[in-house]
Amino acid sequence: MKSIKPVSTLLTLIPSIAYIPILIEIIKGFHIGGLNIIFLFISSAIKPSFNQEVVKSALEGLQITIATALTSWVISMLIGILLGVLSTDLFWKGIPKFSCLGKFIKYSLAIPRSIHEVVWGLLFIQILGLNNWVAIISIVIPYSALTARVIAEQLDSFDIQPLIAIKQTGSNFMSSFITILLPKLIPILSTYGIYRFECAIRGVTLLGIFGLGGIGTELYLTLKSFEFNEMWTCLWMLWLVIILLEKFIRFLRSYLSTNISLKNSFLISISIFSLSLSLGISWLYNLNFEMFTPLSFSYLNLPSFVEIRNGFNTLPLFKLIITTILITFFASGIAIGTPPLLLVLFPGKLPLKVQNLVWIFFRLIPPPLTTILILLFTNPNISVAALSLGITHMGVMGRLLTDNILNQEKSIYRALKSNGSSKKSAILYGILAPQSNSYLAYGAYRSDVILKETALIGAVGGVGLGWQLQESLSSFDWAQVIIITATFSLLTMSGEFLFSTSQNYWLENSTNNFTS
Amino acid sequence: MTKLLELKNISHSSKGSIRVKDINLTINQGEKIALIGKSGSGKSTLISIANGSLIPNEGDVIWKGSHINNISNIESSKIGTIWQDLYLIKELNVAQNINCGVLGKHNFIWALKNLLGVLDKGLCQECLEAVSLPKKTIYSYINKLSGGQKKRIAIARLLRQEPEILLGDEPFSNLDPLLSKNILNLFINQKNYLRIKIPETILISLHQINLIDNFNRVIGLKDGEIVIDREIHNINQSEIDWLF
Amino acid sequence: MIIKLKKKKMHQSSRKVEFTKITIALVSIFNLSNIGSLKAEEILRIGAIPDQNPEHLNRLYKVLSSELSEQLNVQVRYKPVTNYSAAVTAFRTGNLDLVWFGALTGVQARLQSKGSKVIAQRDIDEKFHSVFIANKKSSIQKINNINDLKTLKGKRFTFGSESSTSGRLMPQYFLNKAGVQLKDFKGASPGFSGSHDATLILVQSGSYEVGALSEEVWKRNLERGRVDPSKVFVIWKTPSYHNYHWLAQGNLDKKFKKGFTKELTNVFLSFNERSKKQKQILELFSAKKFKISKNENYNKIEKVGREIGKIK
Repeated sequence: MKSIKPVSTLLTLIPSIAYIPILIEIIKGFHIGGLNIIFLFISSAIKPSFNQEVVKSALEGLQITIATALTSWVISMLIGILLGVLSTDLFWKGIPKFSCLGKFIKYSLAIPRSIHEVVWGLLFIQILGLNNWVAIISIVIPYSALTARVIAEQLDSFDIQPLIAIKQTGSNFMSSFITILLPKLIPILSTYGIYRFECAIRGVTLLGIFGLGGIGTELYLTLKSFEFNEMWTCLWMLWLVIILLEKFIRFLRSYLSTNISLKNSFLISISIFSLSLSLGISWLYNLNFEMFTPLSFSYLNLPSFVEIRNGFNTLPLFKLIITTILITFFASGIAIGTPPLLLVLFPGKLPLKVQNLVWIFFRLIPPPLTTILILLFTNPNISVAALSLGITHMGVMGRLLTDNILNQEKSIYRALKSNGSSKKSAILYGILAPQSNSYLAYGAYRSDVILKETALIGAVGGVGLGWQLQESLSSFDWAQVIIITATFSLLTMSGEFLFSTSQNYWLENSTNNFTS
Repeated sequence: MTKLLELKNISHSSKGSIRVKDINLTINQGEKIALIGKSGSGKSTLISIANGSLIPNEGDVIWKGSHINNISNIESSKIGTIWQDLYLIKELNVAQNINCGVLGKHNFIWALKNLLGVLDKGLCQECLEAVSLPKKTIYSYINKLSGGQKKRIAIARLLRQEPEILLGDEPFSNLDPLLSKNILNLFINQKNYLRIKIPETILISLHQINLIDNFNRVIGLKDGEIVIDREIHNINQSEIDWLF
Repeated sequence: MIIKLKKKKMHQSSRKVEFTKITIALVSIFNLSNIGSLKAEEILRIGAIPDQNPEHLNRLYKVLSSELSEQLNVQVRYKPVTNYSAAVTAFRTGNLDLVWFGALTGVQARLQSKGSKVIAQRDIDEKFHSVFIANKKSSIQKINNINDLKTLKGKRFTFGSESSTSGRLMPQYFLNKAGVQLKDFKGASPGFSGSHDATLILVQSGSYEVGALSEEVWKRNLERGRVDPSKVFVIWKTPSYHNYHWLAQGNLDKKFKKGFTKELTNVFLSFNERSKKQKQILELFSAKKFKISKNENYNKIEKVGREIGKIK
């Protein structure tokens, strides 16, 4: 008998086993001590503060966050497109002598990509001080590298026959390149660009939680001082703005996707970029952003070789790495496994819509805040970190899954039902199964992001490399900081390799494509 | 003659055009019916309405005396359909797809187990044999197969289901003439294939007019209405030509 | 049809031109109008470690900024930060001119910024204490002898910020002296609440069984009625040490005018309760007056900091 080989459909459900160790650990460390605070927190949700000062500073914070996100988004898209084109194999076919330069760019971009924007922020604060440009730089560096990668991958996956054919007609390389590839680039840009913008807003909020201003800082300060009513004001306003933005973007997208000619879509892209840039910059200026104060570079004494060696000895690196891997493992488990599980446990159109709302809600909660809350009634450990990360990311996965299902053809489901199968089985086979390969592909991508985000959780949650980074930064131990950052970067780069291999495996066999 | 399926005053339109109109049809146990008509004459719509998956704008479908939307899962599993679009599941292998035919007869846990590996291997292989596919095909994945092979898997899935009535929407398109003839022969003349019980009552829509002679009743659709509904020996060639 | 397309094309390209024009206009306007605002030199930027709730800090530094501004005849701006080490970094990178530091952060900042000097402390900072507080529901008893700190092993313990002198450094020093390591607490590590006010709330609610915080903040919360004696009580008061102080950049005389640093110090030393504003400032600082302080006062703190690993 052939060995058991669970099919992708099952593989979407199995990861929820991760709940078992997580819940066991949380219950073990559980104490009712902080429950009244949690209760206070939850009840404040329905009575947020309407104090004028609070609303005013929340509004200002929101503006700073969105304007910063917009500006950093535009800059990172532009740089990303440039770097992306430069790192394709395709581009260098025209200048074969320098093709190794292309490869060099491609591989070295892995480094800025491997470090989360918050970690960049924490590092840049040390060099540039509390300048507002730190937020922008911290976003631009990883995001351009990420965008470059997506663009390079997409461009390299295209059939180059038309390009060769055009070259045969004698046109020079650059014109043929632009003619063939630009039309293919624009749809990728619109999908991915929108996703990056939403990430930018989230990233700037997280940077704010770590002190760089905007709504994130307001959230953090109000939460830490236990002023829950004020915190909820900020949170509700943030959610409102994000939901409105999403609706606006969707509207824009559907309006633009009715077949427009290449020239028009190109012009529209240019105008979106320039408009966003000018909007972002002028907005920030109005918010007293201190944009034109020159950046002050503070020269740090780079640690000596001896200090670095000492750093290695004093850091429990192995334990930290294992902890980080475990957190990623468990968080990904619940993030991937929960949405399909709920889908099967609660079948039906209405439950599906409810689940959709729940996921939207979870998606918008910044993980560090969840960690702070959970820590009120349990001890800091891996499970707390895993749960906080898992909750936010299951929101992302779940939202994507339910959205895709709501738009999916129900034919297989109906066919199975008409042949007598029960609702649950029909959903398992007819609705979940067709989604499972692309869902798992996206899950692989999510796990990559989760791995990078363990840095943030560690910082508030007392575990893992992130926590050690925070400790070393507050002791101004540069040797340790360098070692931890390098370790983390290596870890995420290996993770990226692993996850993108699995992602490609699942994508090969999938019925549809999740818009990532 | 027991009445199995009745379609009473069925009319249905979608996307602005009328698909079927004033359909009245009774299918009795043991009948072998050929459904013929031009493309777009409403054959697929008729079959979808007949198996209960499409609810018509007007009219009722009665299965053994009860309205088709009110019957139990067990009764539903007695109605088997071979769909034109096949509706195979790409993410599963051949055996798991064949087993989809009997999802109605098993519980959810069995459905989960089916996803783990290969259940009821022997029965699946017998179904494959019936459609002239090699036994080892059960381990293949659907997206690696050709159009004709996929069609045969869909037929195998229906055989596995062992329904009382077989509704087929162009089951022989994509199959070569000899194979079509053999499978049709299986449906019409045999009661069993090894352990598999062949459905007694069949309604199949066809393009290959030469195969009609095997049936005992012919229904012809033109522009969504039934214009011919007679036993085979009462039909002449000119009427069939007029349909197309 | 062709005419429509042409019109559309023209419309599109004219739109593009429009956008480009707007962008250029905006950027140039902002560049021009910016010339007037490059006068950062004349602003005295003050900051503080966020050891208490933001509203308290905002209130305090608003009044302080206005008083200093009046007395020194310069613009004074308070720039809040979200955590202790951010204050140190901001000082090092020159974003802040004058910062109210705790002993540990002050030493860290001073070691990283050559030429910076300690200028003043409060009367209560000469002999500062931490208090250990416990939740009444935990079975912890009052401690008379430092060695009894051992009874805290296996309990849920929280510090304030990891860079806090009275909320972490000195309590940890005394705990270590009594033979208690951080991994002896429940969960193999202590919590870090981030501020003294937060420690109080967490221990009072029972999230943590015991915590260490600044005596000054404990007393102030007692006065304000924020302490519920039925839920939380003091189990031990630590021996005294030097703590908070004002740290000034070494370049203030160059930046503003000769003798500025001395003038600044004198302003603090002259605060008294006769002026209404100054009285308010002193109250918010929980002090009766400011006194002079010098770098050497913190040598012991530096030693402890190096032992524990917070200073490299």
